[in-house]
Amino acid sequence: MPSTTYTLPIGPLHVALEEPMYFDIQVEGETVRSVELSAGHVHRGMEALAMQRNYFQNVTLVERVCSLCSNSHPATYCMAVENLSGLIVPERARYLRVIADEVKRIASHLFNVGIMAHLTGFDSLFMHAMEVREIMQDAKEGVYGNRMNLGQCIIGGCRRDIDDSTAPFLLGQLELLKPQLHELYGVFERDPLIRTRTQGIGLLSHAEARRHAVVGPVARASGVAYDLRRKAPYAVYPDLDFEVQTDTKGDVHSRALLRLREAVESVKIVEQCLRQMPGGPINTREVPVIPPGEAVARSEAPRGEVFYYVRSDGTDTPQRLKWRVPTYMNWEALQVMLANCQVADIALIVNSIDPCISCTER
Amino acid sequence: MNDIAKNTLEMAVATALGAQLLNWTSDVHGNHSGWVKLGATAELLALAPLLADCGARLMTVTAYRNDKFGRLESDGHEIAYHFDLEGVVLTVSVCLPDDPPRVASITPWFKNADWNEREFAELYGIVLEDHPNPRRLFLDKGLDAAILNRLVPLSTMMNGASTTTLWEKVFAGKQLPEWAKGGNN
Repeated sequence: MPSTTYTLPIGPLHVALEEPMYFDIQVEGETVRSVELSAGHVHRGMEALAMQRNYFQNVTLVERVCSLCSNSHPATYCMAVENLSGLIVPERARYLRVIADEVKRIASHLFNVGIMAHLTGFDSLFMHAMEVREIMQDAKEGVYGNRMNLGQCIIGGCRRDIDDSTAPFLLGQLELLKPQLHELYGVFERDPLIRTRTQGIGLLSHAEARRHAVVGPVARASGVAYDLRRKAPYAVYPDLDFEVQTDTKGDVHSRALLRLREAVESVKIVEQCLRQMPGGPINTREVPVIPPGEAVARSEAPRGEVFYYVRSDGTDTPQRLKWRVPTYMNWEALQVMLANCQVADIALIVNSIDPCISCTER
Repeated sequence: MNDIAKNTLEMAVATALGAQLLNWTSDVHGNHSGWVKLGATAELLALAPLLADCGARLMTVTAYRNDKFGRLESDGHEIAYHFDLEGVVLTVSVCLPDDPPRVASITPWFKNADWNEREFAELYGIVLEDHPNPRRLFLDKGLDAAILNRLVPLSTMMNGASTTTLWEKVFAGKQLPEWAKGGNN
């Protein structure tokens, strides 16, 4: 290693990281030359726990994998168990699951772009984005009683209905949100500081996105038009009108704008659901028999594809329950995105994959 | 849903392993899942390059024991490799040999197999052959190897994760009972 190169350790505890991850970065002057990641600082052994709890207890466990994608995990886990047991979820429950997923997506994306504003030093924009996000936090609290873990999904459907009092409240929150989201998009799109700090950095080409098999907004901003809501539709997405957002620039700026456009689409989806949702039961009201066998299920979480594999030996606890979160797929692509970037941009680039460390490690 | 992708995967499996090895299931939305069982790890190495050639994406890898708590002496390991091609899932399960369980890396064809393989190696003590970077992924080297090969009772797990903070609050201003001091954890 030449004498002009030195090692810059970042983490595992660092002000720019919300969760612990260790980056061993080789730097030449102000330029990053290579990156090595060390993980494992928040490993919780959740998959070992899942094999010791019954299928119903695991709904509660998997909701705690990730706070920002917390509805995607129980929803996808329940879909895997329902696929295995042949349980048919009532149509109203499938709408309710989509509403919960999309409400969470809006809040998650606003959180990520807010943090991005903070990392550029634009703290008033950070606080404004978090204030806008608060509209959805209030919506979650009003409809589900919780601001993060909604407790909405159960095997066979949903726990809580959206009725004549909560539906108008949720629609009202969306009406409040829409103009603010529009305004926020304009600021992120045109503000000179945001553009200077985020355009052209953290580049991930289409070829590298495919090679690293990245998922979610990171993939879509690099031209990989893969969204499970269209590629392998579930719940009621085939009946809903929305556009999969893509871009080709593959930089930090395009990922942030794509997330904001997805939040706009999510608003449209929730509105359609509230309009179209049929009456009827919200769950099957039966305790299914889980036969021996195996099944998979997937969904499009805010950060990308969530995958669940359940294997049953016929007892009341899974023989194996495995899940893979979207961020797991995106970490290694950071070696491409960080290559030859400036030290000052490291935190912005890492944030642009919307990293979730505790859900990666489980 | 996607018949072209389904046919492509069928062709790849048939070319590598012969016909009649692939079973299909579908969910209520018509999404297809293919299932292949392999008896030897060599067959995995025959199939992996063909799946890569047809553009399949490795989603994740699941290792498991046939007896999940390792109560039986020689109840072997299996690994399920989960692939995706344009919305169609293919799960390829392979039985591993015993003493020690070992499998070749598929990183030459699927770069993102790196982390997945290191994770099952540290959890189940599975030996990786020809892996470019076979060090541990998440678990510190000071922790036991192959922890999922044996039963760790739930009570032990929970004790390990507990602190006395809760009971100190419950008994604030009073004498903390012996059992709440956590000495047996």
